[in-house]
Amino acid sequence: MLIEPYACGTHCSIEEAKLAFQNVSKIYGAGADSVTALTPMDLMVRKGDFLCIVGPSGCGKTTLLNLTAGFDQPTSGKIMIDGVEISKPGAERGVVFQQGALFNWMTVLENVAFGPRATGHSASVAREMAMETLQMVGLKDFAKKYPYQLSGGMQQRVGIARALTNDPEVLLMDEPFAALDQQTREVLLEEIRLLWKRTGKTILWITHSIEEALFLATHIVVMSPRPGRIRAAFQSGFGRSDDPLISVTPEFVAAKRHIFELLKSSQKDEVQIQ
Amino acid sequence: MTDVYSQSEAVLDKHDEKRPRKRLNDLWLTLATFSGLLAAWLIATGTGPWDPIIQPLFLPSPALVIQTFFQLLENGFQGKSLGQHVGISLYRFSTAFIFCILIGVPLGLLMGMNRRVRAIFEPPIQAIRPVPKIALLPLFLIWFGIGDLSKIIVIAAPVFPIIAISAMQAVQSVSRMKIQAAQSLGASRWTVFARIVLPASLPGIFTGIRLSISIAVTMLVAAELTATSEGIAWMALTAAEFLATNIVIVAVVIMAVIGFGLDRLFWLLERRIVHWSGKD
Ligand SMILES: Nc1ncnc2c1ncn2[C@@H]1O[C@H](COP(=O)(O)OP(=O)(O)OP(=O)(O)O)[C@@H](O)[C@H]1O
Ligand SMILES: [Mg+2]
Repeated sequence: MLIEPYACGTHCSIEEAKLAFQNVSKIYGAGADSVTALTPMDLMVRKGDFLCIVGPSGCGKTTLLNLTAGFDQPTSGKIMIDGVEISKPGAERGVVFQQGALFNWMTVLENVAFGPRATGHSASVAREMAMETLQMVGLKDFAKKYPYQLSGGMQQRVGIARALTNDPEVLLMDEPFAALDQQTREVLLEEIRLLWKRTGKTILWITHSIEEALFLATHIVVMSPRPGRIRAAFQSGFGRSDDPLISVTPEFVAAKRHIFELLKSSQKDEVQIQ
Repeated sequence: MTDVYSQSEAVLDKHDEKRPRKRLNDLWLTLATFSGLLAAWLIATGTGPWDPIIQPLFLPSPALVIQTFFQLLENGFQGKSLGQHVGISLYRFSTAFIFCILIGVPLGLLMGMNRRVRAIFEPPIQAIRPVPKIALLPLFLIWFGIGDLSKIIVIAAPVFPIIAISAMQAVQSVSRMKIQAAQSLGASRWTVFARIVLPASLPGIFTGIRLSISIAVTMLVAAELTATSEGIAWMALTAAEFLATNIVIVAVVIMAVIGFGLDRLFWLLERRIVHWSGKD
């Protein structure tokens, strides 16, 4: 097997980590209605890591990502980027949403140029930067269209281009391809992998799909629900592979089965608790 | 998110240019409705070889209405030309309406953006909203005199809360995700407001404005009930006292045309400015 367990909270020091989660927990609401979305957890992410978070619905994946993006504050602990505590959203952490986050009153070009404009580039420079990323994701010819004139897969690529144009140090992606059909998904996954290899960005990627995680990640964190916690963490060699048929190798299938069993048993635990 | 190739009929209807034939068919149906109504009017009022079913006193024939219109155009009504009557009404109406948009929209936006502003202004506005404004007319007359000011205020009274509250609600329902997306692209508070919250609220603001047009026309009638001797609604009310049904109908049609015209105007603006509305 090309995956092996590792201690995701201690395998490197905070100084070495690009993103450091220290004792991070999140409780929504208060009193009897409160929901523990995340129990205290530690997680270190090195620069250039492609970390996939898998887990069943409700285990706190989106919560973790929102905290990292700075949309929300942890109940305990802190999240640091390069040793500095995160308190609000910032352009160094680009976010790609599952869907529906494009500005539909702007053209594709204006959407993608929004980041550079907001971070102080002139209109013409921002346009040039936007055109460059649009070319990269193959949407140069659609620059003047509005998002609603594009297909779902194209819209998702606009979302990725928009986040990339700002050249963020960290990319946070919450099931970005969940709403896409299998074929579009595979094409875009391949593109993401190439992009990551070329740019060496640190990526936090949330998914329901074990296969997707194995295909992309250098690190896989498996979470379980109620209360949300890290169930296991693996280092994976598949993400760095150049083999396009990696997903049909026996090692890949064995790894997939292993994580699958893990997720299933955590569901069983839950049933027993109930 | 809609795929270009799998849009529902409702969405396609918005892409009018793609369905020219369908649109033409719809136009014919609309024309047929109006022709039918006109025919019923013609028959009922006895334009033809038969006697009128409804007496002209109650419903004058279309021909008489048109004739009355030209007479009014030529001779005016009670010492003022038809243009003057329409003009003064338009002045009262549009002053109130423009005031409501210029003040109500920014106030609503502020209420939507800021909790404190909302805490100050929303309760009084919500409290005034259900009060029938016509009942306040006598008060307005005492407070603001019998001139145009009291009339402008009685028109603005119901329109202002609608426009302000709908702008506020439009801001509050702006997708959080879009605001977060802008923030994580590095947008400042001002940029988030100017480039996300404001445009995303426009559809709701337009809805509020169009909703209040018909209410404003209704209030015009209330405003010209008393303490004036000019205005298109006053003309209708005065003519009714003399049972001059033909003049009443001319005045009503003119008011309907004003209301309908304004609605279409804002509808066109809406289609041009917020063409993306509802296509997420
Ligand atoms: N804003 C909120 N207020 C209250 N509870 C919340 C809020 N957001 C999430 N929760 C709760 O926290 C838990 C974790 O939610 P979260 O959205 O992080 O799950 P998830 O792993 O992303 O699930 P999915 O795979 O379905 O997207 C859930 O039980 C959810 O009900
Ligand atoms: Mg989620």
